[in-house]
This record gives sequence, structure tokens and C-alpha cells, in this order.
Amino acid sequence: MTPNWTRAALSLLVAMVVAGRATAQQADARLERLDAATQPTVAALLDSARTAKLPTEPLVQRALEGATKRASGNAIVTAVRRLAADLGHARDALGSTASPAELTAGAAALRAGASQATLAQLRHARREPLTVPLAVLADLVASGVPADSAAAAVLGLAARARDADLVEFRRAVERDIALGAPPSAATAAAATAADVFVNAGARQQRPGRP
Amino acid sequence: MFERMDDVIERIARHLRRPVQVDPALDERVMREISALPTPGGTTMVGKAWRWLRRPRQFTLTPLGGLAAAAALAAAVLLSRTEATSPAAPQVASRAFQFVLVAPRAAHVSLVGDFNDWDATRTPMRRTGGAALWTVVVPLEPGRYHYAFFVDGSRWLADPSAPVARDDDYGQPSSVLTVGGGS
Repeated sequence: MTPNWTRAALSLLVAMVVAGRATAQQADARLERLDAATQPTVAALLDSARTAKLPTEPLVQRALEGATKRASGNAIVTAVRRLAADLGHARDALGSTASPAELTAGAAALRAGASQATLAQLRHARREPLTVPLAVLADLVASGVPADSAAAAVLGLAARARDADLVEFRRAVERDIALGAPPSAATAAAATAADVFVNAGARQQRPGRP
Repeated sequence: MFERMDDVIERIARHLRRPVQVDPALDERVMREISALPTPGGTTMVGKAWRWLRRPRQFTLTPLGGLAAAAALAAAVLLSRTEATSPAAPQVASRAFQFVLVAPRAAHVSLVGDFNDWDATRTPMRRTGGAALWTVVVPLEPGRYHYAFFVDGSRWLADPSAPVARDDDYGQPSSVLTVGGGS
């Protein structure tokens, strides 16, 4: 190898190393909305998540939510760290093929009180994306439905119900709870009605709404 | 005997001194024959490429040129990494969602959430259908989103028509919207 080639190869090697380090340390420009003390800690948490192959966008959003709501730096770091841990646990339960949306919904379900075993059972019960079933599970448990009852109802519907059926099921439960029904009873009744609906093969288009 | 040998040598020398008549098209014929000969490694594209790859080359590069090449490579690496980690890969179909808030005394309402970086300036709501009704339509990809209404730059309101986000970390009301995969 000639001296010129040696120089060129060394230059390329140095450039690649520098580029790799620069990329690893490249901070999301949106994080500039955080204060100077919080920003590097959140950036480090994002790097760790990236290394663990976890989605970083939910973490960025959680940090930005804190910034917009004028939360303290400690509260933001705690929230981001906690969400990263939840995402990791959700990935453990749902498998490495889970989408970022599924992991986000799974993390919410775990936070609400669902178990990792329930998440794993859902993965086996349903071939379609799990985002909506997991979100419904999270919302039910957060509404006061015991985790076991919510898990049983969602698992019972998950194999055949469409996303829209599951959302309608959640609405029915929340409506009945608001009307004074005990959460478990409301869930059982809505699950039975939804099961009949799903088994009947009823299909209708519904407009999108929250 | 010796004189006869001298004659012979002289005759050979004379013969050799005569100019040789060469066919003017000889060069062309020779080159044509050479190019027609089979080359080692075959004449296919692969063979040619293989010979091209194995042929040693030498070229000079100034330090400045080396740096320029290195910078170009670094830029390519950075760009590819940035694109790979970009959150905005538009591969999933989005659905339009209409958000509605009844706020008769509000002067300004924004929709703020996971879908707009919690930026209060990005999705202002419009007063429609009367003084009290504020609406906006937002396209959303499948996922679970936290959001809230930001009223008059100071008040946070959850969406009364959506589940409350009970995993809120910041003590302010917010709601949850789950967008399914299209079914």
C-alpha cells in the first residue's frame, strides 16, 4: 500500500469513527425545549433506549409534554425513565417484532396494572396488530375494572373482534360505569353484548372519533 | 577454400543488407489477430469486471482530497442513520379525526398532544358552528396518543368525550386517543 493510499485510508477511518460518534451523540433538536440541565439526561435516556432497540419517539413526546406543561426537570426525567422501563417490559412480553404503537399501548396497559402474562397471551390470541386491544385493556383497568376481569374480557374478544368492536366495547363499559354500574359487572355485560355482536358478524362503518 | 568461404559470407551479408519489403497492412492484421485471441478469465461481463477489479492501480490523493472524500462518506453515513431513525416514515395510512371542544368563553384554543410534539402553536382550533364550539381535524396514524386542549394559553382541559389519561406523569388533565389499524 502506497503512502497516499495509507493516508486516504486513515482519513476515511477517522472520518467514519467521528461520524459514528457524532451520530450516537446527535441530539434530537426538539429536546432544545428542555432546560439545559434536563436535556443531556433525557438525551442519554434516548441513547440507551435506542441501543436497546426500543422506540424513542414516545420518550421524546413524554419529555416534550413535560416541557409544555412546565414540569420540573426531575419530573420529566422520571417520566421518561419510567416510560422507557415500561416499554422494555412490554417488549419482553410482546416480543421483538412488536411495533412501536403496540409497545406504547402495551406500556400503558402495564402501567395501568395489566400483567406481562396477559400481554403475552394477547400476542398469541390475535394475529392482527395489538395496539387497540392493549389500549382498551389499559383504559378499562384505568377506569377501575379489575385487571383480571379486563384481561379476561379483552382476551375473549381479541381473537375475532375488529378494532372498532373493541373500541365500542370500551365505550359501553365506561358508559355503564358512569351510570353507576360496578366496573366488573359493566365489563361482563359489555363483553357478552360485544361477543354476540362479533359472533353475529355484524359489520358497519363507523366514523372516527376519540 | 578460405576464399570460397569469404564469398559465401559476403553473399549472405549482401542478402541481409537488402531492404525487406513488409506488407503495409501487417500491423493491422497482427492487432486484429491478437484481439481475436481468447483472454484469460473469459470475455463475459463478469470476467471483465473481475479482471478490472484485480488490476492494480495507483493514484495520488492530496490530504485535502482525502479529507473531502472522508467528509462525503461521513455525510452519507450521517444521512443514512438519520433517515433510518426518523420517526416520520410515512408507511402507514392515517385516518382523519375531528376534535371538538365546547368552550364558550375561550378566546383561543389549541389541540396539543403526542401527534404535534406538544407544541401549542401548531394546531390551533377554529370556532365553528357558533361561538361555543371549537373544532379541528387531524390525520393520525395507528397508535395511542395523549392529548389535551390548551385554552387561552393557561388552562389545560381533557377531552370530555375521550378516556382520561390516567398514566399522566405531570398532574395536568389529558386524554387518550387510540387509533387502530383501519378496521
